[in-house]
Amino acid sequence: MDARERGRAAWLFLPFIHPSNPPFIPCKVGKTAVNVLAHLHRLDRRWLYLASAIALAVPFLVRARIPMPPTQPFLVTRRLYDAIESCPPNKVVLIDSSWDMGSQAENEAQLECVVRHLCRKRVRFVIISVQRAQLGPEFAQRAIEKITAEPGCERQYGTDWVNLGYVQANDIKVVIEALCRDLHAFRPNDVKQTPVGQLPLMQNVRSIKDVHLLYSVTYSPAEDWISLVKGQFGTPVAFGCMTIMSPYYHTFIESGQLSGMLIGNWGAAEYEALLGRPGRGTELIAFASFGNCIIVAAVLLGNLGLWAARRGRREGK
Amino acid sequence: MTATTLATLVGAVATFAVFSYLVKDNAAYRLVQQAALGAAVGIGIWIAWRDVLRPMWWARIQGAFQGGRAWSDALWLLALVPGSLWYFQLSRKWFWVSTLVSGLFIGVAAGLAFKSQILLILPQIGASLKPINPFAGPGGLTWASALDSFNHLLFLVGMMTTLLYFFFSLRTESRLLKGSMRVGRLMIMLTLGAMFASTVMTRMAYLLERLGFLYAKWLAPR
Repeated sequence: MDARERGRAAWLFLPFIHPSNPPFIPCKVGKTAVNVLAHLHRLDRRWLYLASAIALAVPFLVRARIPMPPTQPFLVTRRLYDAIESCPPNKVVLIDSSWDMGSQAENEAQLECVVRHLCRKRVRFVIISVQRAQLGPEFAQRAIEKITAEPGCERQYGTDWVNLGYVQANDIKVVIEALCRDLHAFRPNDVKQTPVGQLPLMQNVRSIKDVHLLYSVTYSPAEDWISLVKGQFGTPVAFGCMTIMSPYYHTFIESGQLSGMLIGNWGAAEYEALLGRPGRGTELIAFASFGNCIIVAAVLLGNLGLWAARRGRREGK
Repeated sequence: MTATTLATLVGAVATFAVFSYLVKDNAAYRLVQQAALGAAVGIGIWIAWRDVLRPMWWARIQGAFQGGRAWSDALWLLALVPGSLWYFQLSRKWFWVSTLVSGLFIGVAAGLAFKSQILLILPQIGASLKPINPFAGPGGLTWASALDSFNHLLFLVGMMTTLLYFFFSLRTESRLLKGSMRVGRLMIMLTLGAMFASTVMTRMAYLLERLGFLYAKWLAPR
């Protein structure tokens, strides 16, 4: 390929160059690739959005899948699984399901896989929504009713699980303190407005002492669960959080203050692998792999572009 | 057209209107943004009444007056007094009245926050002190104890150099301090890299969820 052909090939990249950039001029022999890369460095970000959307749409439109090699589950996922496995029959798992459409993208899969495990293991559980997700009880109810209709997961409302609904928490510390001490006084009725005293499950569940594990699944679980439920009452706490928030909570895993954590859809997919039943988390993470390829390519091209731009500036001097 | 189909159509149109912002700010985006805000406030008020105020406050008072509950439940009416004090914040002249209740709330919140922070941070300090001697374990020197020691050493170096970066952010000629601060900066950059990757993953999940909605509910409903 001679210099003219190289220059012509480089013009193929022209649609990806922002109009505000200086016009692309194929320069000296051997410099064309560097020139293209230097312009890619200043690529309009909207092209990246479009490429990501197309890449993520591919698995919906064609049955293409990126093969995912089986991996060892992350330690934090394994710990949550083990914590539920070790639940004694006289205790329940309390789930703070404070998510709605705002964080459904990752929290739904995190709730589903844990509830599926609880149903299979015949562990009773209580749902409550105390953080800022007013539609949390509705979303949780729908997700759980779907799972309890699956074969092998049949559980009865009132006997095996209860949804205590939404509690407004302007200061979550006050709410946590109250529910830990007396759950019946804190929440007299369930989501269907049935008095909690009339629900068979709640006869033996009165305070945090009857709870084996607290699992908070929301965009960003409140650290007050750790300090009050684990620190004051000694009940283990686990989180299911959005991936964006996960770096913050790793310190609590290291110190043993958190008994497990599901990180985004990846955590849910790992949990489903432990259960031996692929679900929503596995599906979403397989789909996201297409978008991740675009991001990896963009990071590589961006760095190459930065290198090329610096080189161009250096040689221009 | 059923209500579900209409709701799905509205959802699809709203999704496209929100994504149109990526091209350029426009009236459709702003309309959906304002509508979402209005709907969230409306739903919030309704749920606060349905799930909180009615069952936990109004039903008790109503029951006391109708004879279904103990007369003492009627005392919940008194909750209106401190509640209504908040509205004095709207008056310059009577603002001081609202400080009676806001002071009470701040006192409770400060007390609980103090306890909460102590219970949160003290275990963190304890967990930062990690053994780095590979011979200290019950089984003496093994591969596992050596790896643990290396891991703990890495953690300690990361923690100390990061702290140094913030505490000694002054001009210094000491090579040791300069090198340590450079390592600290590297640690911070690694952490920020991890946070950036987490952000990308979350944004990807949001986009995927919307694409899933458009495909499974709108384009090709089962």
